[in-house]
Amino acid sequence: MIRHKIRWATALAVCLLMAACSGPANLDPPEVDVPTALPEDIDFDPEISTAPPDDSCDPVASYSPGSVTAADARALLGDRDRIAVGISQSTNLMGYRDPVTGDLAGFDIDIAKAVVTALMGDATKVQWVPMTSGEREEAVNSGRVDMVVRTMTMTCGRWGDVEFSSEYYHGGQRLLVTKGSGIASLADLTAEHRVCTGRSSTSPRNIADQSRAQPVTVPDFNDCLVLLQQGVVDAITTDDCILAGMAIQDPRLEVVGDAFSEEPYGIAFAKGDVDLARFVNGVLEDMRADGTWQSIYDQWLDAHLGTATPPSPVYQD
Amino acid sequence: MSVQAPPAPIQTPQEAPGAASGQRRLSRAVAALRYTPGQLRGILAILVVLILGAGATALTSVLGKSAVIEETTTQSGRLSVAALDLYQALSQADSAAASSYLTAGASSEEVRETYREALRDATVALSTAAGEVKTPEDAELVARMNTHMPVYTGLVESARTFNRLGEPVGATYQRQASTLMRNEMLPDANALQHNAIDQLNEARDSAESFPWLTTVLTAMALGVLVWAQLWMTRKTNRVFNLGTVGATVALIGVAGWLVLVALASASHTARSHEEGADPLELLAEAHIAAQQARAEESLVLIARGEDGSAEERYAEQIALLTGDDGLLAQLNAAYGEDPELAEALAAAQESAGRWNAGHDEVIKLAQEGEYTEAVALAVGEDEQSLATSFDELDEQLTEATDISAERFVAATGDARRALSGAAVGLSALCLVALVSAAIGIQMRVAEYHA
Repeated sequence: MIRHKIRWATALAVCLLMAACSGPANLDPPEVDVPTALPEDIDFDPEISTAPPDDSCDPVASYSPGSVTAADARALLGDRDRIAVGISQSTNLMGYRDPVTGDLAGFDIDIAKAVVTALMGDATKVQWVPMTSGEREEAVNSGRVDMVVRTMTMTCGRWGDVEFSSEYYHGGQRLLVTKGSGIASLADLTAEHRVCTGRSSTSPRNIADQSRAQPVTVPDFNDCLVLLQQGVVDAITTDDCILAGMAIQDPRLEVVGDAFSEEPYGIAFAKGDVDLARFVNGVLEDMRADGTWQSIYDQWLDAHLGTATPPSPVYQD
Repeated sequence: MSVQAPPAPIQTPQEAPGAASGQRRLSRAVAALRYTPGQLRGILAILVVLILGAGATALTSVLGKSAVIEETTTQSGRLSVAALDLYQALSQADSAAASSYLTAGASSEEVRETYREALRDATVALSTAAGEVKTPEDAELVARMNTHMPVYTGLVESARTFNRLGEPVGATYQRQASTLMRNEMLPDANALQHNAIDQLNEARDSAESFPWLTTVLTAMALGVLVWAQLWMTRKTNRVFNLGTVGATVALIGVAGWLVLVALASASHTARSHEEGADPLELLAEAHIAAQQARAEESLVLIARGEDGSAEERYAEQIALLTGDDGLLAQLNAAYGEDPELAEALAAAQESAGRWNAGHDEVIKLAQEGEYTEAVALAVGEDEQSLATSFDELDEQLTEATDISAERFVAATGDARRALSGAAVGLSALCLVALVSAAIGIQMRVAEYHA
């Protein structure tokens, strides 16, 4: 009888054990990657265009002012009482919304305001139209805006689509790095360095052609600043004035090296609006002569990029 | 009825141990089946097996059902509720963080408070979910969300700090936070929620299933019992005895109770699904779509015209919410006649329409460079502000959610009540049937030995 009891006890124990084992499985701790926040569409290995640069023209050659009056120029506007100007709202120092006041401010904005005042007789007769760099050509030619003052480099390719004013700012591509990073110029970049820059600009190509560094592209170059602060990239390259706008937001960053590209900025108009370009060129002449240009430069860029004089105009006729 | 003599011992006292004794016992049992007492004992054995089987399966089925109902309201129910809460709280945190970025510096910190509450809800839901996950896949999802949570809040706080310092890079931090939320955290929360709902549906199907095995066993036991009584009457020339009649009555009771309980609990469970879980799921989806659309609306303004995809994503979410086959249209079609839900749902649809109409105005202002006016219209504090219609929509959806949640709890409570006492009652009835049958048959057997 005792043996029977032992047998039953064993069977019961086995049953209990099986029941216990069929309960919730013992979960191993899952393996998870270290989380890194990256902007959408970041490209760590962008394709670099190898098409030969278009140097079929002199990109800075615009139209001489001549004797076009403000009234002649206004005749080309979509709405004669209000000029629509395409600008950037997110390029610090050049065209941006002051986060405290919410107002538009920057070098481009002040240049545009001076032009608007001369053209319309009143700085308030303007409609600011924020746009991305990719929208600029389409915006002037579709009539959405009458002109674009938005860090726009004059190139032969773009001369095919739009009219440009004379050069109002002479920029060049440089490097923004963390102080003490050991990078002082292009020559210090190795293949280990990641250099961030905006997609759909000439910057990735310039850096790829002139250094061994690995370009990293993002849709909006503002993302580069966050990536540099987070240590994802080692440097940022784009036009010097844009880099200056990033550098002042972080005292540990500095703009280094010489400019390694030519970026002449011009105001863009719809293809065919030559009289508008001539009139604006006249306004720019006055601004160079009466010190307006200088005071705008000194206000926004002098402290970050050193002293500069207005670029001399070049005319094709 | 006289006191029955105890059944005669089957075994002889001087039994030899070992395998030989077992064989001898078997052959003796087979030999005994040739005589009426042995046959009676055989019938009793069959009855014992059938009634025990019926009782045991009834017990497990009833206990299983209550466990599932318990689970719907607690365990895997808790995971699916936690996952849904998490998904909703994360969406809300993101939309509040984005709105709060735009209103930074304004006297009202109401949105900021919403953000902090949403974060609390999200982290509480996440820790609840962590305790309830049962599969490695779910465990990984929870772990991933846990690792992303501090990164997300870090980005939001960086954005806020830079914004207060007046540095535009704050906007980029805010956008990166939303990108992390949209591309990593929300899809994970969504996956966890779907896994939990799948597990819940499996459990629910088993709760609604009819206990066929128990029914068959009970019916067989009844059949054998009735046949045995007829057979005994013929064999022994006696009318029914009290024991077997009692057993029959008890078994009929078992069968009736079982069918009643199964049907009632199934109908209550189905009702909890139709009136509770279904609208709850739709309402939660509507809530989430609204929050995400609101977040994208703020991002359009935060990106200051540099992010065209935010507007596309807004259009996507708002179409999901207010489109012709959208969530609000589905809700109104399904529950528009419901006296308790109809009002809140109709109002929600109206608020959403007002919000979406106002959104076009915001975009128009932003495109025309009236940035400050666009921000004021989107997140400002006055009556016309989109924040007002969004908050109304949020309140109306919450109201409908509360009503549906109450119904869900009531229906599962009814289902549980239908089962209450069934486990004990059915076991007791089976035991009564067993004992009565044994006594009844043993009485007849004893008469042979007397």
